[in-house]
Amino acid sequence: MTNLGPALQMKGVSQRFPGTLAVDRVDFDVQAGEVHALVGENGAGKSTLVRLIAGSFPDYTGEVLMRGRPVALHSPAAAKACGIQMIHQELSLAAPISLAENILAGRLPRNRVWLDRHAMWSETRKWLACVGLDLDPGTPVEEISQHEAQLVEIAKALSNRPGLLVMDEPTSALSHDEVRRLFGIIQDLKSNGLAIIYISHHLPEVFEVADRVTVMRDGRAVGTHEVRNVTSRQLVEMMIGGVPSDMYAKRTAAPGAIKLRGEGLTRWGFFHNCSFHVRAGEILGLGGLSGAGRSELLRSLCGIDPLDAGRISLAGKVIAPRTYAQAIAAGFAYLSEDRKTEGLALRLTVAENLLAAIIPRQCRWGVYVGHQPDGPLRRYLRGLNVQPLEPERELATLSGGNQQKVLLAKWLATDPEVLILDEPTRGVDVGAKAVIHRAIAEVADRGRCVILVSSDLPELVGLSDRILIMRRGHLLGEMSGPQCREQSVLLAVNGEMGVLKP
Amino acid sequence: MNRRDTPTDSVSQPARQWHQALGVGSVYLFVVAFLIIGRLISPGFWATESLLQVVKDVSILGIIAVGVAFITLSGHYVDLSIPAIMACSGIVAACALPLGLPTALLAGVATGGTLGLINGLMVGYLRLNPILWTLAAMSVLDGITRWAYGGKWVYVRQDTGPGAAFASIYRGEWFGFLPVTVALFALVAVLGDFLMRWTGYGKQLKLTGASYAAARLTGVNVRRTVMVAFLVSGLTAALGGIIKTSFSKYGDVEIGLTYDFQAITAVVIGGVTLAGGRGTIPGVIGGVLVIGLLGRILPLIPGIGQDEQFMIRGVVFVAAAGLNLLALRRAGRSDA
Repeated sequence: MTNLGPALQMKGVSQRFPGTLAVDRVDFDVQAGEVHALVGENGAGKSTLVRLIAGSFPDYTGEVLMRGRPVALHSPAAAKACGIQMIHQELSLAAPISLAENILAGRLPRNRVWLDRHAMWSETRKWLACVGLDLDPGTPVEEISQHEAQLVEIAKALSNRPGLLVMDEPTSALSHDEVRRLFGIIQDLKSNGLAIIYISHHLPEVFEVADRVTVMRDGRAVGTHEVRNVTSRQLVEMMIGGVPSDMYAKRTAAPGAIKLRGEGLTRWGFFHNCSFHVRAGEILGLGGLSGAGRSELLRSLCGIDPLDAGRISLAGKVIAPRTYAQAIAAGFAYLSEDRKTEGLALRLTVAENLLAAIIPRQCRWGVYVGHQPDGPLRRYLRGLNVQPLEPERELATLSGGNQQKVLLAKWLATDPEVLILDEPTRGVDVGAKAVIHRAIAEVADRGRCVILVSSDLPELVGLSDRILIMRRGHLLGEMSGPQCREQSVLLAVNGEMGVLKP
Repeated sequence: MNRRDTPTDSVSQPARQWHQALGVGSVYLFVVAFLIIGRLISPGFWATESLLQVVKDVSILGIIAVGVAFITLSGHYVDLSIPAIMACSGIVAACALPLGLPTALLAGVATGGTLGLINGLMVGYLRLNPILWTLAAMSVLDGITRWAYGGKWVYVRQDTGPGAAFASIYRGEWFGFLPVTVALFALVAVLGDFLMRWTGYGKQLKLTGASYAAARLTGVNVRRTVMVAFLVSGLTAALGGIIKTSFSKYGDVEIGLTYDFQAITAVVIGGVTLAGGRGTIPGVIGGVLVIGLLGRILPLIPGIGQDEQFMIRGVVFVAAAGLNLLALRRAGRSDA
């Protein structure tokens, strides 16, 4: 590593949101010619920190220095003026216009009156060459592939001649070879003295590309290390920290006979040849990184998305639900990870949402007969302690935690044989989380199957009886009992399969 | 937990109920106000025949608006091919009259149902934009009818039995006082309200309109739900077209003009959110009555000509829709 001095220094920087300190007195620096990785679990504050660097918050506290000079990054324009460029996970290119106009947006070369096409083209070619692309500058963005767009995005950032480049999960859309190419480009940029902040969930990438790594947890920077001095095991321990695991009381009832079985389940391009079983009364966890195909597998399992091959059997009978409605009738329930758009209709009342999934069951000859005042409604609301207990209230006026409880109640009301939970406690406070966890355990204790996907590792490990590891569309193995620890799961989903049972 | 997750609704309980009541019935404030204004202008305004005449004026519109309400509630705005469906159904019924009245009525309604079904398949299953598709369907249907009939009128021959019976649909009265059209309007309204409020289909329609993605992930067959909404609208448009043809006594390609826009006006005045998922049939009836009352009262006011009538109508429509919106906002509902 060539040490050219600090490009960015942050001293005691904090960012407060109502109710939480998202970034808590963080000291952080990046040297010129260095790749500094930022790792941590979801919600640890990585994204907030880099958004702060990119000028998203006018009200942060603490001191930021660029090349030794104090700066105020109170707007995106101010951050850009300081030479900070950010490459977002979502692309920021305008699809219908050309590469040249995208890359040189806002400063197209001119000769007196007209655009200087010649300069525009040669300038664009130069920046495209920097990222190893040989494309016609006149090509519209919509005609290039996703990974080329990712590289064009980098070219666009570079063309602003930044001193600091922030990359947020830049490899999420790239294949293996393209990742190699990107790393080569990062090495080039580094040797030219550019400072790079690199955010990734994939620890192997961090070890390959970064010089130093900072671990964040609960808004704090809990440690910065040279990557050659740490192991992924140590990083994982720092990421998880001292979370009390006795929050999750182990259930005593032993799982019964195999109830749900999936054999060779395949949806081309999403998941391949996945076989698994769930016992009655068992909570099966599904571990994996985002994009591993967990949600896709579960959605196909209950007929929401198509299934190209494979066989599903429930309680010994082979079933092939063609629609989600058929799957619900057969006893499946899928709680979507996206509460606000896919899970609930926020404009309807609590009661309407709660009863939505059992409308067909409450009809006789198409006529709705489900108007009993103390049907499942109040029982579920009370059981999950939904506040306020007003079934006629519009759902949008409830807090996120209570909305999530209503979403769970909606599916509990169908009395499912197989309850599939996709991020059941996303964006939910601790109190609501405990209520939801208790309700999930109760479902399993009644002899039902529960399948759980959660990027909250303590939750996944704490609730599940057994965890299947999924990576790049394949089920790779399972963990259960004492080997089922947060760190072994995190290592396994990152591809270190040594911790798995053969 | 981010800042948007905190409860935003701090309106006290009695105030909420007041606003909720207003949210459903604000359009009836206008109905009552116009009834009083009508009484002040013309002493005989509250007589049964006079009031029935008001309803009769808008019964065709009312029947159509009930159907449109299903489309609007599903979140798909409106069927702009309603004028063409009305014309086609009316012409088909008039042409089929020699086969007898029941056959003619059935043929007319079936025509509207088929056209509504096609709209529903296109919008519901192929997910075409409802505005674009129904606008195109309007144009195509209009072209086909003009080509087939060369713009000629298809007369209802009143010297035949079925012809006379057909012509009496608009003119006829039951029990000596109740106009047949008003009875049909009431029947359609009751059926529509029942379908929307007391059936599983109505519940799922509302869910689909409130959130298409959430409805799909609740196991609702959203495509079929949307298709049925267009089918209902096609059937009501056909009924409206047949009554209109009975009124004019000839089938004509232009009988349905402006009914699409009038119907969506009534639906919106009646408190059905254009975004979908909120609204009731009683509200829509209120919207229809406001239009009817305005049409009766304005000509009675001295010094108000055609131009002024249009202006006043526009103001009243904005006020009615605006009051409804205000009530919803006060109740903490911002999407309206």
